[in-house]
Amino acid sequence: MLSIKNLKAKVEDKDILKGLNLEVKAGEVHAIMGPNGSGKSTLSQVLAGNEAYEVTGGEVSFEGKDLLDMATEERAREGVFLAFQYPVEIPGVSNLQFLKTAINNIRQHRGEGEVNAAEFMKQAKEKIQQVNLDPSFLKRGVNEGFSGGEKKRNEIMQMLMLEPKLAILDETDSGLDIDALKVVADGVNALRSPERAVVMVTHYQRLLDYIVPDYVHVLANGKIIKSGGKELALELEEKGYGWLGIDEGAQV
Amino acid sequence: MTALSALIDTANSTETLPAGLTSFRNEGAQSLDGVLIPTRKTEDWKYSSRRLADIDGLSTLYTATEESAPACALEAIELRIQNGQWKPQVSSVEGLNFKSFADLSEAEVSEVTSGVIAQSKDLSLSQLNHANFRDGLFIEVSKGVQVEQALRIILQHAGEGISYPRVFVKLNDNASLTLIEDNLISHSETGICFFNAVVDCQVAANARLTYLRSDMQRSMQSKKLCATGVALHRDAYFESHMLALGAGMGRHDLRVHMLEPGAECDLNAVCVTKDKEHYDNHTSIEHIAPHCTSNENYRCIADGSSQIVFNGRIHIHRDAQKTLGSMNNRNLLLSSGAEIDSKPELEIYADDVKCAHGCTIGQLNEKEVYYLKTRGVSEKVARQMLTLGFVLEIVRANPNQNLAEFWENTLAEQLSFEELA
Repeated sequence: MLSIKNLKAKVEDKDILKGLNLEVKAGEVHAIMGPNGSGKSTLSQVLAGNEAYEVTGGEVSFEGKDLLDMATEERAREGVFLAFQYPVEIPGVSNLQFLKTAINNIRQHRGEGEVNAAEFMKQAKEKIQQVNLDPSFLKRGVNEGFSGGEKKRNEIMQMLMLEPKLAILDETDSGLDIDALKVVADGVNALRSPERAVVMVTHYQRLLDYIVPDYVHVLANGKIIKSGGKELALELEEKGYGWLGIDEGAQV
Repeated sequence: MTALSALIDTANSTETLPAGLTSFRNEGAQSLDGVLIPTRKTEDWKYSSRRLADIDGLSTLYTATEESAPACALEAIELRIQNGQWKPQVSSVEGLNFKSFADLSEAEVSEVTSGVIAQSKDLSLSQLNHANFRDGLFIEVSKGVQVEQALRIILQHAGEGISYPRVFVKLNDNASLTLIEDNLISHSETGICFFNAVVDCQVAANARLTYLRSDMQRSMQSKKLCATGVALHRDAYFESHMLALGAGMGRHDLRVHMLEPGAECDLNAVCVTKDKEHYDNHTSIEHIAPHCTSNENYRCIADGSSQIVFNGRIHIHRDAQKTLGSMNNRNLLLSSGAEIDSKPELEIYADDVKCAHGCTIGQLNEKEVYYLKTRGVSEKVARQMLTLGFVLEIVRANPNQNLAEFWENTLAEQLSFEELA
């Protein structure tokens, strides 16, 4: 589904990704771990199409198409979803209106008609309850005045509504209490299917207790330096990154 | 440099206004003596005077014209002033009385001439209206009457020249009224349409006036220079909601006088300009009595090479202790060629007051645009949503839902952008 080859990217003249390779097949869940400053968020942003990041080399194909060649919104319409580490607040644009516009843009891209209003409302109410937010949040401005945890849950709610093929979670677990973490994990698990894939960027092993990954990768200094099964995460939790030859202090 | 007196309409002597109003108008004409068309050096016209360059030589319009209907149909009693002329179309209803200035009693005349707030030197050139109005509409709500249906005044201008609609509204004690004002200007292909309306309101003790103003005509041939004045007596309440779109020149002056304790006002407005349009908002709140509250919320969006001015004045007099005042003006610039001039003016002479003001001028937040795009929303729609979102809260505060919806739809259309290259 997603194939990243020798990806290099920089932000503000600083090289961050230095030849990253990753293969994600449909149905798989990948976890990417690594110390601060290793390039985890850069990878997420580059995949989603943030123009602040400049790709300087390598290629990324998504379902056989050149992902880097697509505009941000095109990637989303093709089925790529990024759950933000820091979701932005957009006062004045209601969650409902925003979701409806997004869904209709995506449907239009697929050659489908506009979503049925009643059906949409029903789904929106269902999904917002699924992430344990009060339905009144639907009428509020996007993330406006939401707490950190509510924002993250709202990201998952959007993901459930948009049903992406590839979901990228950028530290969605950070700043969450255990209950919220479970809600997020349940949301992601509900989306798991043989047709979909998930890439989770995380600092903590605890998320992986709830969303069990098929693969764990260690990203350091812009490259993936070690890959393994879910047991790798446990090993990292126990030993830190030092045993992999990474000097943590130098990465920040 | 042209003197404003060149615009005095000398053909108006044949009209049959009560003597008190004729002499009031003559005072207006005399006040123009030796007054020049404002320039950049006139403080109140600092940012807008160049738009006045071509007004000399215009003649007064005072003819009935073809009726045109406002774009938004509303449930309301409709009164129409065409080129400054009012002809009774519907009869007064119980407790709500309207008549022409020509039919006013002596007592009513003195109300009209003494209760003038809207007009003052330099403001919206409302002194031109003072000197030139030929007739006007007098509206009165009787004591204790809550008028259920909204009253809509449609101020129509057609053709080249200047028109001087004039309205006087009086709410007696404990009365309430929703007054909707629409400015309809059918523009002429070549000449200037100078629309110079003055609306004055007297709100007596414990009365409530809701004022909904649509100033949406966008022709570059139009100069819309209007003033609204409101006098608030004990515990009176005034709320205004306005949608103003730019034109060749636009200016609205809203003056509120808090004359007695307990008065309160909420002033809300959205102002949007595109291309080469212009709109100037002047508000002035006089806190004369103690224990009064004023809130003001103006949001402006300028695109293209258009210009918006916000000049908000709060004047707290020495005796106006325990005043609560707040003024908020937020502005969004959509292009590098657009200009917004924001000028809060707070003059505070009492020492036990709370008075806050805030003003921001900014651009769309690119992080927000990006966020929307990552959800599949196109660049164009994302920008439109964010721009509309900037003013939506104010638009939706309009208590007349049908009008609020109409405003929202109009803005959604106005604010749709071309795909960026």
